[in-house]
Amino acid sequence: MAAAAGLLLAALAPAVALGQPAGAAEDKVVFTVGLDNEVDSFNPFLGIEAPSFEMWALEYDYLIGYSMSDMQPEPGLATKWETSDDGLTWTFTIRDDVTWSDGEPLTADDVAFTLNRILDGGPEAATWGSYLKGTKTITATDPTTVVLELKQPNAVLPLLPMPIVPEHIWKDIDEKAVKTFANEPGGSPAVVGSGPFRMVSGTAGGSEYRFEANPDYWKGAPHIDEIVFKVYKAKDPMIAALKKGEIDFAENLNALQVQALQNEPNIEAINGDSPGFDEIAFNTGAIDTGTGKPIGDGNAVLKDPKFRHALGYAVNLDEIIEKAYYGAGKPGDTIVPPAYANWKWTPEGDQAFTFDLDKAGQLLDEAGYTMGSDGKRTTPDGKPIGTLRLMARADSETSLKVLTFFSEWLGELGIDSKVSSIEEGKLTDVILSGDFDIFEWGWYVEPDPDSMLSYMTCGQLGNWSDSWYCNKEYDALYDQQHSETDDAARVEEVKQMQQIVFDDSPYLVTAYNTVGEAFRTDRFACMRPQPDPGGIYIFQYGVYNYLHMRPAAEADQCEGEAGVTQASDATESSSGPGTGVLVGGGIAAVAALAAIGFVMARRRSTAGDRE
Amino acid sequence: MSAASTTPRAAVSARQLAWRRRRETLRRGWAEFRQHRAGLVGLGILVVFVVVALAAPLLASSTDISVTRAPGGVLEHPSSTYWLGTDDSGRPVLSLLIWGARISLLVGLTATVISMVIGTLVGLMSGYFEGWGGALLFRVTEWFLVIPFLPLAIVLATVLGRSLFNIILVIGITSWPATALLIRSQTLSIKERPYLERARVLGAGRSHQIGRHILPNVMPMVFANTTLTVAIAILTETTLSFLGLGDPTRVSWGTMLDQAYSVGAITTGSWWFFMPPGICVILVVLSFTLIGQALEDVVNPRLKARR
Amino acid sequence: MTTLATADAAVPEAEARRSGGRRSYGRYVLGKVAGSAASLAFVVVLNFFLFRVLPGDPARTLGRGRLNTPEAIAEFNKTYGLDQPLPQQFVTYLGNLLHGDMGLAISTRAPVSQLILDRMWPTLLLVGTSTVLATLLGVWLGMNQAWKRGSFFDKSTTWTSLVLYSMPEWWLGMVLIALLASGVGPFLGWFPTGGLHTDAANPTVLDTVWHLTLPVITLTLAYLADYSLIMRSSLLDELGEDYLTTARAKGLRDLQVRNRHAARNALLPTTTLIALNLGFVVAGAITVETVFSIPGLGLLAVEGLRGPDLWLLQGTFLVASAGVILANLVANLLYGLLDPRVRV
Repeated sequence: MAAAAGLLLAALAPAVALGQPAGAAEDKVVFTVGLDNEVDSFNPFLGIEAPSFEMWALEYDYLIGYSMSDMQPEPGLATKWETSDDGLTWTFTIRDDVTWSDGEPLTADDVAFTLNRILDGGPEAATWGSYLKGTKTITATDPTTVVLELKQPNAVLPLLPMPIVPEHIWKDIDEKAVKTFANEPGGSPAVVGSGPFRMVSGTAGGSEYRFEANPDYWKGAPHIDEIVFKVYKAKDPMIAALKKGEIDFAENLNALQVQALQNEPNIEAINGDSPGFDEIAFNTGAIDTGTGKPIGDGNAVLKDPKFRHALGYAVNLDEIIEKAYYGAGKPGDTIVPPAYANWKWTPEGDQAFTFDLDKAGQLLDEAGYTMGSDGKRTTPDGKPIGTLRLMARADSETSLKVLTFFSEWLGELGIDSKVSSIEEGKLTDVILSGDFDIFEWGWYVEPDPDSMLSYMTCGQLGNWSDSWYCNKEYDALYDQQHSETDDAARVEEVKQMQQIVFDDSPYLVTAYNTVGEAFRTDRFACMRPQPDPGGIYIFQYGVYNYLHMRPAAEADQCEGEAGVTQASDATESSSGPGTGVLVGGGIAAVAALAAIGFVMARRRSTAGDRE
Repeated sequence: MSAASTTPRAAVSARQLAWRRRRETLRRGWAEFRQHRAGLVGLGILVVFVVVALAAPLLASSTDISVTRAPGGVLEHPSSTYWLGTDDSGRPVLSLLIWGARISLLVGLTATVISMVIGTLVGLMSGYFEGWGGALLFRVTEWFLVIPFLPLAIVLATVLGRSLFNIILVIGITSWPATALLIRSQTLSIKERPYLERARVLGAGRSHQIGRHILPNVMPMVFANTTLTVAIAILTETTLSFLGLGDPTRVSWGTMLDQAYSVGAITTGSWWFFMPPGICVILVVLSFTLIGQALEDVVNPRLKARR
Repeated sequence: MTTLATADAAVPEAEARRSGGRRSYGRYVLGKVAGSAASLAFVVVLNFFLFRVLPGDPARTLGRGRLNTPEAIAEFNKTYGLDQPLPQQFVTYLGNLLHGDMGLAISTRAPVSQLILDRMWPTLLLVGTSTVLATLLGVWLGMNQAWKRGSFFDKSTTWTSLVLYSMPEWWLGMVLIALLASGVGPFLGWFPTGGLHTDAANPTVLDTVWHLTLPVITLTLAYLADYSLIMRSSLLDELGEDYLTTARAKGLRDLQVRNRHAARNALLPTTTLIALNLGFVVAGAITVETVFSIPGLGLLAVEGLRGPDLWLLQGTFLVASAGVILANLVANLLYGLLDPRVRV
């Protein structure tokens, strides 16, 4: 048998020798990235997976960019923006030196066209529509000016994170056609973009996507010639490919893999901060939003905030971080991650959860959930609690582990539970129909926590709310902070809200997560994390690294600080998002932020948790 | 003993005679089985694993497989404390292997029972009954036989959800057609035998014919075939677990392999987490295959020339 | 994988048929085609109803959280015909299928039939090459094992192939990756770690061969035992038959006896197994494609598991089944041509 195998190998040896890519012959600088998930669509109006967002960012430009250090708005296609005193008129000044890849100039008309397409509803509005809620008209008053007239102020502005597409191409793709328009090379009409890279080959759902540099990019040509994304369905082969140099960057690693790679020469491996949190969420009482009647089969005990809060003492966060997150990430407490320190409220002293099963038991006793003769806790009226269903996401090992730990701790408290795992699509369905007790998921939190705070309001029931949490006091504070003009006062209100959610415990926040990434330092230099320091290298807001990275031999030419200075200069020259933005606002803005948060959370948690 | 002495030899009842004959057949079968070295090796391996599975609570503390009471650290190397190291929750891999044997064998055996019951029933019926009923059953068997089993299992597992019971069910209802075909052809040939002819003439009902004459004759074949099915069921469990369709809350060799794979066994160098469950699967699958082949030789004299 | 079990099921079956009368090849073909058509119809019906018993609201499950208003759900249901009564849905499903329309993949919005066409070639290449290699190697092994029965060669190769048979294919694939792609210890990373091409835009034949080597070896090794065992046992059966004794008596040399008579007859049961086994190689391809990141049908099905993308799963299941049914039909027709005894 061994002989036979040897024979096979021998027969293939010439193929091996010839098949190996001849590195010397390649004079092009190619940056090869290993992804663990496919692009679901190159059409920016259709895709929802994280890699799709990354591809659009390479192909297209955006009105507004994000800073590397803290993701604050920066000029993009818009060099500056102004808002009227009442916050109802926004004027964006568009660059006049940008051309599409087919040579046509990019003007304010293209911007207005893209935004109007989204404003008109239809499939284009599915991902982006919420950003423009409350917008009356969008007009290009001249080739460099776009004016947005609003019905009510929109706190999300000036952030308009949709890629700007060329009018002369997309006007021929009507609302019906756009639903299946692939926007891939070889298709008709051709792919026309303005971004730093142009797509050469690849198809949605495929396993390889190739881009070449746009030498005429208005921010300056990239220092690499091509980017190739390769999809690996298994992490070990992806990491082996990185070690062998078949790829230059590996995305979405777990902390154990990062740890193993940190000992490798010529590889930098990091656990980058991902501004979000993971939580154990409870069904706090699903209702039909039309009639207000209860729906679903959630366990009644979870409607009691005292019961939920007591369980907070039954979760050993340190152990979860060590065993489920393999030491990367921080123990969680509130729905604002530590990355946004100025907004964050942290429970102190007695208030903070400690892992103390006795205390949890005592709190349950006080709330009436006393131990029955069979060693199981009962409801205050003496009935058995039953078995709590803990639903993990099938795609996430972390999710399953966290709930397995939780289930065992519940058992020690005298509460039965059963862990199961289901696909995220099905989980969304059971959440909306109220047929669940407890699940594990996560949220991505925007630099302004308004969006995250909104998910916990009564207005989001049956919509973005996934715990069916509703508290009038919290809602009042939410509205108040949303129209607060005094920054310090708003911070106080936001902290108060975090405290209410912490006490009512619709969520037990388990961890502030990280994303593992690794790249070859002997191949490429000039990479910057976002946020800087502590952040991630790709899948950032914007395409800084693709644009600024250089072959390792040119490491001394990094733009580094120069780039930062340039960016901050530009920010000063524009009218940044003053406090005026925060004035007023309204439900429209809430929904808008909620939408991006939801999409981001979904893309983060679908892509971010797969080990 | 006393019963035997009080019963006159001459008056041995038909039932006793049948039992004695059956015991005699078994004894002869065992004697023949012992001739197969490979079969004996398989049996030996299997006995070890069955004993380990049954004695799991004695061999490894049940707290070893609890995540919250795991004694070790994350992915510890093999040492004198943990002979096969620890998994990514700090649980000793050896303890997991011991407890996992229970679930893996349970899945394999239970799924096989389901497959065997369906396969035997369908096979008997389609072989015994002439006319459209039998023909239809035969066609259904053929239809199922050509459906690729893993795509079907994936579809079923997706529709039903992830639980131990569903895994067993899915494996059971995707693996019966081979058994059914085998039983059918056996039934067809037994039906033509003279003694069955005689029974029919003597007025034996259908249930009597099937229950008393056909079934006892096809059972040895079913038994031999079954051991081969267990091997497939255990392999299928690991495959479904790998695809994320297993019951993730139970420790089985399949879920261990899947866990080692998702942690990144090659990258982290944790061979002690990835190799042992795989080797256990190989050993048990191999043992069932060897036993099955040996049993086939015993029950099917035509095949004896093979060894 | 079940072939070790079905192998023996197939043999008595063939034998039972031998005792029956003979028919013309035309009628045999007609019967086989009708049987395959019935199998296909069964799969088509099964495919429809399996996915309709799914609990929960398909619109919300399939919409992946994007459909959060009643209007959006209603529109989705209308687009996909989910608002129609079940019999109507079934008619629509059949009609669409006739036109090659298997709906849209929920994730990529691409037609499922298009995705399947795109992904078919890598799988055909992988499954085809492995089947050919496993058959050739298996038949060669089986013949030599039978001929040198009881020798060291017989014992060692039989044991090795049995051990390989007992491995989960994907586990074997991972071990091969660790040894021959990552490079552990004395082994070097000779082979790529995954994918089908170094540069998908400019695929070359040699590059594809190089990428497919490990996956093909994995599948070949895993299914070798199926063919070698059946070849070995049928050849041993044949070697015991009377006419061979006659042939020997006539003074033919052993080698000639083996080649001319026994091997040819022993090949027949092996050929039926190739087709029957195809269903299991397809199963192996699903996991092996996942481990080696080969963009084939198997990987497509695994991608369909996320979400889950039901239309994609439905389509891949249908095509995989149809492929296996077709291959079985072809094998049966060939078998009937080669061995008139089976034409019952």
